[in-house]
Amino acid sequence: MVGVAPLARRAGRRLLSSLPALFGVVIFTFLLMRVLPGDPAVFFASGPNAGQAEIEEIRRQMGLDKPIPEQLVRYLWDIGHGKLGRSMGTGQPVVTDLANRLPASLELTFTALLLALSLALPLGIIAALRPNSAVDHAVRLLCTLGVCVPTFVSGLLFIYAFYYLLGIAPDPTGRIDIFASQPPNVTGFLLIDSALAGDWEAWWAAASQLILPACTMALFVLAPLARMTRASMLAVMTSDFIRTGDALGLSRRRVVLVYGLRNALLPVITIMGIVFSTMLGANVLVEKVFSWPGVASYALDALLASDYAPVQGFVLLMAGIFVLVNLTVDILYGLADPRISIE
Amino acid sequence: MQLTRRDLFVGGATLATAASFGTSAEAQTRAETLRQVTGNSVNTLDPTMPGSTREAFGISVNVYDRLVSFGRKRSGSGWIFDPDTITGELAERVVTSADGMTFTFHLKRDARFHDGTPVTAEDVKWSLDRHVSARSLASAQVQTGGWTRPDQFKIIDEYTVEAKVERPDRLALPNLCTLYCIVINSKLAKRHATADDPWAQEWMKTNTAGSGAYTVETFRPGEQVILRRNDAWKGGPLPFFRRVICQTIPEAATRASLIERGDADLSIDLQASDIPTLVNRGRVKLVSTPQFNAFTMVAFNTRVAPFDNLKLRQAIAAAMPYQDIFKAALFERGAELFGASWQGTPPESKFPQPLPLRTDIARARALLAEAGYPNGLDTTFSFNVGSATVSEPMAALLKESLGRIGIRVEIQKLPDAQISTLITEKKVPFLTETSIAWLPSTDYFFRNFFTGDQRWNYSSWNNAEINALTAQARYEQNAAEYDRLCKRMISILAEEVPVIMLWQPNQDAVMPPTVDGYTYQYHRQVDYRDLRRA
Repeated sequence: MVGVAPLARRAGRRLLSSLPALFGVVIFTFLLMRVLPGDPAVFFASGPNAGQAEIEEIRRQMGLDKPIPEQLVRYLWDIGHGKLGRSMGTGQPVVTDLANRLPASLELTFTALLLALSLALPLGIIAALRPNSAVDHAVRLLCTLGVCVPTFVSGLLFIYAFYYLLGIAPDPTGRIDIFASQPPNVTGFLLIDSALAGDWEAWWAAASQLILPACTMALFVLAPLARMTRASMLAVMTSDFIRTGDALGLSRRRVVLVYGLRNALLPVITIMGIVFSTMLGANVLVEKVFSWPGVASYALDALLASDYAPVQGFVLLMAGIFVLVNLTVDILYGLADPRISIE
Repeated sequence: MQLTRRDLFVGGATLATAASFGTSAEAQTRAETLRQVTGNSVNTLDPTMPGSTREAFGISVNVYDRLVSFGRKRSGSGWIFDPDTITGELAERVVTSADGMTFTFHLKRDARFHDGTPVTAEDVKWSLDRHVSARSLASAQVQTGGWTRPDQFKIIDEYTVEAKVERPDRLALPNLCTLYCIVINSKLAKRHATADDPWAQEWMKTNTAGSGAYTVETFRPGEQVILRRNDAWKGGPLPFFRRVICQTIPEAATRASLIERGDADLSIDLQASDIPTLVNRGRVKLVSTPQFNAFTMVAFNTRVAPFDNLKLRQAIAAAMPYQDIFKAALFERGAELFGASWQGTPPESKFPQPLPLRTDIARARALLAEAGYPNGLDTTFSFNVGSATVSEPMAALLKESLGRIGIRVEIQKLPDAQISTLITEKKVPFLTETSIAWLPSTDYFFRNFFTGDQRWNYSSWNNAEINALTAQARYEQNAAEYDRLCKRMISILAEEVPVIMLWQPNQDAVMPPTVDGYTYQYHRQVDYRDLRRA
């Protein structure tokens, strides 16, 4: 087993080496936003009597009256001091907005990923054990369906069926029933916060709001996870050590789950990291459909309004999360296969 | 103070009772709670902040009081605001001097701000000073009523304020009714003012200092605002709803199902195409009001070629398929502004009113030849993505119809931020837009939308006679003369066609049948004080 101290040292080195990439992302988004057509000052100066004076005022507030190099230096200075500017759309500092909204997105993404994994792994394994059987085809069909139906379609269908027709789901508006009391904010994850507060009514309210959007997202990412599990298991199950295990009379369960699955997990973990990052950024449709107050819909609104600061903040946040996810995936590699270590 | 065991016990008991009262009050409030769902979000609590959204305006109307406000009147099955009736909100009465230049406001003596401090002349003066001095949306608005300098507002005594304009301005008092002219708790606001920010603008974005019918309980920009009724409100009769939730639901279909299932109580921004189906299923009530202070138009950039050519504009106006567009783009959910039968001078002075515009392809061809384009021309027609549900079918029909007289139209659909930029830079030749005036008087419409260089003059129209007429009508005290001036402006507009007037879209407010009293307001948001549950 790898000791904790060297692991932390390596992780630290990895994080440090990702700084230039993050810096590049910052500069790139900064310039990209300014190249896009559409002047945010004009867009937000929409009062009934907004004239040139008001446009100038907003431009000054957003710091856009300065030359671009100076804007960039000020922006970098702000980032160095933990500030990301102010969003015109919500009127709040971007850091506050992101801090309020990231837990919502993370809670949704983690739940969806867990749900997807708990379905995809067994399905992938079963399909791999009986390739080209009816079960394999059924799994393939399910995965294809999941990928083919866009999330906003499945989301709206879920809402129509479970909320509008059957009435068993709560109204699909946000993280918790609007009439329920919200648990005190500790981590920002409602499930954890309400559990900490011992408020099981709130926990149930949050969980029942979470289930439809999480299912919608899980369905969409089922395919890559299940297909990768199947392919990887197929390769492993024909290996020598599986045959040896079978020959030694080990139980089928032990052969498949311990020797087979553990060796097949590496590519699945890789895919999982990618799927997670994609879900976090690309779940904007799910967030919109379910009025989920997450970071992706926040960034989209800002982008449509040419509101620079939130978009830049969002991209930086995503880049940071990507770095962390990659690091986590590499550490998980080491756990799945001790021959690999991050270096 | 020393705490004894007895104190603790009594305190504990009080707390326990309070808590149980709290829950029982909570349980009975669903009927007394109004839940509005909207696609947009409230981004500030200070309506005068540059960049504030319309939803933020709606919240501020309910949280702050003004000195005076507009009354309301019945119109069809619903209510509309009445710009001709001005009622006191914080002012008990207003005395206008004989020359129409001095207004004396006598304040209600029992009015209190939310923190309990009395509303005094000092607060009114500070607030009005802020509206004319601070860099905010208010100053551009109130200057249309002649309010430009702090020395126009004078404290007479603790409960009397005098305001004076230099010339008798028709819109002086109506401007003080608009939602920018909130009365702010000056003692509270001054505590949060800084040297850089003498008007506490930063603090007021996320805090309130008002005396209005509601207080803000929760403000989460982009998610929801929760209001609680201020039971000590003196601005008018106590509103019915004890609690109001204004929640952002981006998906229009979701908003519709929430209303239909009775989980939400009001939405004013559903999709026009969903509304007939919703109403047919019979579980909701629709209050549909033509937005009589708005108009949708097709505008030409009259300062650059080719649309500086009058004959060309007239040709296009004669080729427009008015009825078809009205049916296909708006599903006839509005009031027509075309097809009038008058010639020369309009029968009345109000604006917008239907203009003598009708489809006449033969005349259009003749005019086009006269304009010097016998073989037609190429042009671009632009609209913003936000209005696509209406503008897209409009553009398609317009392209087809103009094609018949040889004008080849390319359709350009632009994101809102991008088209606003182009319009401000006057780079769009031919476009559709909807304009709204808070103070629906004819000279105000013309002044804002048909003169000057600002963005709202979509056609960049610069007509010497119109410029003179608007300047004159603004200060005209004689009603007959004012009518004459306005009729003249409307005739010139009909003759010169800088814009082709199309319609006034309806505002469709959808609610469960039990919600009553919805009023169409000049700001096109919900005044929760009007509403009740039957």
